[in-house]
Amino acid sequence: MNSRGAAHHDGAKVGIELAHHFETVEQQRYAATLGIWAWLLTELLLFAALFLTALILRVTHPEAVKLATGHLKFWIGAVNTVVLICSSLTMSAAIEFSRMGWQRAMVRAMLATAGLGTLFLLLKGYEYYADYEEHMMPFLSRRPYELHESPASRLFVNLYYVATSLHALHLFTGIGLLLGMTWMAAKAGFLARHQNWIEVYGLYWHFIDLVWILAFPILYVVNRGA
Amino acid sequence: MRSPLTRLSPGDRALVRRRLRTPFLTFLALLALLAVNVTLGASLPFAHVWIVELAVVGLMVAIILLVSMEVRKEPPLIRLFSGLGFFWVCILFGMTLTDFLAR
Repeated sequence: MNSRGAAHHDGAKVGIELAHHFETVEQQRYAATLGIWAWLLTELLLFAALFLTALILRVTHPEAVKLATGHLKFWIGAVNTVVLICSSLTMSAAIEFSRMGWQRAMVRAMLATAGLGTLFLLLKGYEYYADYEEHMMPFLSRRPYELHESPASRLFVNLYYVATSLHALHLFTGIGLLLGMTWMAAKAGFLARHQNWIEVYGLYWHFIDLVWILAFPILYVVNRGA
Repeated sequence: MRSPLTRLSPGDRALVRRRLRTPFLTFLALLALLAVNVTLGASLPFAHVWIVELAVVGLMVAIILLVSMEVRKEPPLIRLFSGLGFFWVCILFGMTLTDFLAR
């Protein structure tokens, strides 16, 4: 193992295993961070297009958007935002524990993060179920649509499902990756070789949180007074 | 391998407090700003409340980027990268909404 830049803290040895194509650990760390940011920017543009469409719908069909927003589960959305903010705290704690070399605490914080992400998905699933019960799924051709007298509202409601299900897909993928990384991170010697993996993954998790921080007001909040 | 959850020494407790202070304060700030937006969304106190709501969201996004994602501590190239993404999004929103709002 070519471990350079490793340091001892109160617990496990912390460092990064130098890959052969990098000259220094710092260069490797920055390359990894820059790489995840490049990925996150493509994600930002993807979600930005959806949010922009929501704002255009608000400008072009304010009454229909307000009508549709009245059927969204505002309080479930608010609770889910709290859940994701809590998960950001546990992810930040996992990163700090990884820097300190406290491996067991880090693993527990990562599991707590995955648990909170799962809670978000469960609440989202319940929200979709409630929408189904209220006939608020216009894309189901055989099920009557509650707001059939407002055709333009279909555009906003369909956009709501595209944006929130895309976010949920990212969260689901993120939980899978997090659990896989937790399994690896629980092994002896992980922090001595791959501490920056936790930091790089943390950026992805915080970004998922950031996207929801934008989605909740743009879909649920600002259109209530349209 | 040590756990901070069991039998921490005073030194360890001080270390945990020091290292988790910023994430915890960030957590409280985000919750407070969310509470502002939820209150405004639920009560709709005035006509153009959405302007305040979007301003609050902008503040929340800035906090996550600068503090949680630690952009402020990154080298210039990564700071530039993260900023450029939002710059392009501003152009996207600005040019598109200019069309729709001017009709």
